[in-house]
Amino acid sequence: MGTVHARSLDPLPMHGPELGVHADDMEAPETEHGPKQEVLENKDVVVQRVHIDGLGRTKEDFLTCEIAEVFRAGNLIDVMRRSHDARQKLLRLGIFRKVEVVIDTSRGEHALPNGLDVTFEVTELRRVTGSYNTMVGNNEGSMVRFEPQIWTCHCGISVSIMILLLRTGEGPDPHVLSLQVLGLKLPNVFGRAEKLTFQFSYGTKETSYGLSFFKPQPGRFERNVSVSLYKVTGQFPWSSLRETDRGVSAELSFPVWTTRHTVKWEGVWRELGCLARTASFAVRQESGHSLKSSLSHAMVVDTRNSSILPRRGGLLKIHQELAGYTGGDASFLKEDFELQLNKTLFWDSVLSASLWGGLLLPIGDKPTNIADRFYLGGPTSIRGFSMYSMGPQSEGDFLGGEAYWAGGLHLYTPLPFRPGRASFGDLFRTHFFLNAGNLCNLSYGEGPQAHLKKLAECIRWSYGLGLVLRLGNIARLELNYCIPMGVQSGDRICDGVQFGAGIRFL
Amino acid sequence: MSLAAEAFVSQMAAAEPWPENATLYQPLKEDQILLSDCASSLAVQAYLRMCGLPVQVVCRANAEYMSPSGKIPFIHVGNQVVSELGPIVQFTKAKGHSLSDGLDDVQRAEMKAYMELVNNMLLTAELYIQWCDEATAAEISRPRYSSPYSWPLSRILSYQKQWEVRRKINAIGWGGKTLEQVYEDVSQCCQALSQRLGTQPYFFNKQPTELDALVFGHLFTILTTRLTNSELAERIKSYSNLLSFCRRIEQTYFEDKSS
Repeated sequence: MGTVHARSLDPLPMHGPELGVHADDMEAPETEHGPKQEVLENKDVVVQRVHIDGLGRTKEDFLTCEIAEVFRAGNLIDVMRRSHDARQKLLRLGIFRKVEVVIDTSRGEHALPNGLDVTFEVTELRRVTGSYNTMVGNNEGSMVRFEPQIWTCHCGISVSIMILLLRTGEGPDPHVLSLQVLGLKLPNVFGRAEKLTFQFSYGTKETSYGLSFFKPQPGRFERNVSVSLYKVTGQFPWSSLRETDRGVSAELSFPVWTTRHTVKWEGVWRELGCLARTASFAVRQESGHSLKSSLSHAMVVDTRNSSILPRRGGLLKIHQELAGYTGGDASFLKEDFELQLNKTLFWDSVLSASLWGGLLLPIGDKPTNIADRFYLGGPTSIRGFSMYSMGPQSEGDFLGGEAYWAGGLHLYTPLPFRPGRASFGDLFRTHFFLNAGNLCNLSYGEGPQAHLKKLAECIRWSYGLGLVLRLGNIARLELNYCIPMGVQSGDRICDGVQFGAGIRFL
Repeated sequence: MSLAAEAFVSQMAAAEPWPENATLYQPLKEDQILLSDCASSLAVQAYLRMCGLPVQVVCRANAEYMSPSGKIPFIHVGNQVVSELGPIVQFTKAKGHSLSDGLDDVQRAEMKAYMELVNNMLLTAELYIQWCDEATAAEISRPRYSSPYSWPLSRILSYQKQWEVRRKINAIGWGGKTLEQVYEDVSQCCQALSQRLGTQPYFFNKQPTELDALVFGHLFTILTTRLTNSELAERIKSYSNLLSFCRRIEQTYFEDKSS
């Protein structure tokens, strides 16, 4: 995306018949400086008119900011470059299916001899787009959470992606479950790139739905507001816990310099229950209803070139959540961070290092709730251990912990036999990994020194190698051979071959 | 409980003796517990005391949700969790403690019949008065039931519970009854119990059985709980042998209680 090829190297006539230049087909100005091209670059032009054809329900005033830059162009190459940029801006609004640029000489009364007209020919998305997926798998535990900003897949397929935590075939009795997901998206509802999304998922064990409304600020798409309503049911066999969340959330997202901030208020009615009669008493004690009303803030700095299998750049995500001061029963302060650094080494291989950590501090004298605590382990974090089966546990049920850290070191290399670029084999990578981490509860009478010491004791770690498959720009599949070490009593391991699918990997 | 579950529980239970740290869970006593739950809990406590089995009473706001069947009370013994009087009686029997061993088959059948009577009449009447009578529901039941939760969850949960109980009451056919009719039913039930009791100290011979525990639990709670009107308590007070029965059990088994 972004590499374009010149259609011909002939000089482009300034006067004459209509010149249709597609921005897609134009190459950014290159080094070849023949005399004819020099003429073009030095020739002053004035962009007299920029307009957009093909608008239906989109309001014109909303788009003027996106195309305003084109007016400032000084010469033809500049016009083409700015039009290309404007086209990218129009596409990222998510309301047009296709945008084409036509640059023509000015016509009409007020036409200057070096005047240009730039026209963007757009095709709007349909009013309603729907999608229907069936997901079948060995789902022993899946929790569907709605994250409204990750709706559309960058492949261009209108698939509604939900974050699924898949646990595949590791338990003693895996059984096939199916999940029907129906998604309805109304892009550009009121004409200014507002988006209304409805999602309904129906499975053998759970039913979830969500409604979300997204509105960007006119002129500044990166600043947006999102409101959503949802009901989500999840089952967690590692804790013998069943959770139903009904909630409403309002989120404000804005860029500050190079960082992206999100401020969110969320009100959730949580209902916890035991998954089986054999659940441990510690989990049984957490059953019941609670209300959580929390304010959270997240800051993201992402300089990677891709979110799945990046080759360079880094990611820093810091998230904090304060619950209890806006009502509700739950009262805590939760902090967590995520750091990832990538560097390309010799021979197309990439070295990646990541670090995660988090802390949950209860406020007041009520103990923390099992639904708020951190969990660690599994194919998406510390490989070699069963899904979320690490740390404090009671009679085989894992209760989560109030503090954790996890680190990973990966070396990604292309497949050994190098099938060549742009083929299916290019989606695969082999990787060698080293993961380590710890999860524990803290007793808050002691100071931070004691806490650090506790986190440094009994470190679990694992190493191994495996195969990674990239799915679009959102998810990845892994098949690893893992050797877990530092296993503490009570942890459940999955040494040998482990399969994992997900979005966020350590 | 299904047959298989009963067999499972008995087998597990028979293995160990009664531990010292057996616990009984019920909703918060001061602010939350309602008449019907309090009656059921007191019945179980009375039964366990009659068997001579020590149990600690712990109050939890989410006791109803902790219970495996959703009903109060439940006991946590060793690593077993058993709820409601019927299954608890089975459970203690599997451990070798029973109050109804001395009864013959006819008496046992009679005892079961009277226990059914109490459950179908007294318990249902208590539920009716708590949740279907709007005055009591608005003044006592809903505020108490939702007291541990914050707004708006408190509203949602109390109304949800009210609709659920009303649906059940309609399903058993009590939906059309008026409050007066319910009081009449309670009177008739008390009359039957009073006649069966006669002048004996307990319902069967000189030894208490689970029926005594159940009747005591309900009657004592009704007599000592303040409702919007005291009509229900008055109906029971008209049967003097039931009053003395309650007092006798309280003195024999609960006299170490501070209240």
